[in-house]
Amino acid sequence: MDTRLQKTVAEEAAEYRPLLYRMALTQLKNAAAAEDATQEALLAAIEKAESFERRSSLRTWLFSILRFKILDVMREQSRARKRNSELPADGSDTEDCDISTFDALFDESGCWADTKDVWTNPHTVAERDAFFKVLEACMTRLPERTSRAFLMREWLELEPTEICQELGISTGNLRILLYRARMQLRLCLDVHWERD
Amino acid sequence: MTNPITCKDSTWLVSESRERTLSKEELENLERHIAECSFCKGASSQFDVLFKQLDSYLGNSRAEKDNSG
Repeated sequence: MDTRLQKTVAEEAAEYRPLLYRMALTQLKNAAAAEDATQEALLAAIEKAESFERRSSLRTWLFSILRFKILDVMREQSRARKRNSELPADGSDTEDCDISTFDALFDESGCWADTKDVWTNPHTVAERDAFFKVLEACMTRLPERTSRAFLMREWLELEPTEICQELGISTGNLRILLYRARMQLRLCLDVHWERD
Repeated sequence: MTNPITCKDSTWLVSESRERTLSKEELENLERHIAECSFCKGASSQFDVLFKQLDSYLGNSRAEKDNSG
């Protein structure tokens, strides 16, 4: 076991603790559970430091470890709920759920109200990091439930039916939450991502 | 010929395509609309960048596909 590598990974990974905790909290809705999952993910990362390949970023690697921890906890919670015949904690279907929020972006005929710049993919590492930074900030601005549903889909990669079950919402409602998340992120990036 | 879908409809289809394969008709409508509408061409390029970077940021299975080809 390469302890020097472990030390490097431990030091670098510690910087991501707040981000990992925030991601875990969005999904688990419980500070203690989120703290545990974060801690376990960081320990697992240090233990498996040798399997970290520099070709993916450390953040990506940590996200994938945390992802499995969270899925484990969610499965355990869902089993416990079934034993107690409880409904999912988030059960209400009442959050403002229409897509009219973005109507101001369109004119009466459903056409964009103003022109849209064509974005090109960020090329350099610096451009990419800048993009990620804005993306991260924009994601934290999403409403709580929207963000939870969105990351369940895009990060945990759960099927829509599984997400609906977990959140206790209809598929129609989920589709709207996902639409709103994507529309809001595009808008936020359009405003805040500095392009040359 | 007028567009059977609006810009707003096309954003909905772009979002839907992340969950399911669009029907042939939906895809044709979407592609035709984007080809004819400069606003949507821009918006569609923005969604492409957003999704690609999001996959890469989150390191999900789509990111692996993006990288391999």
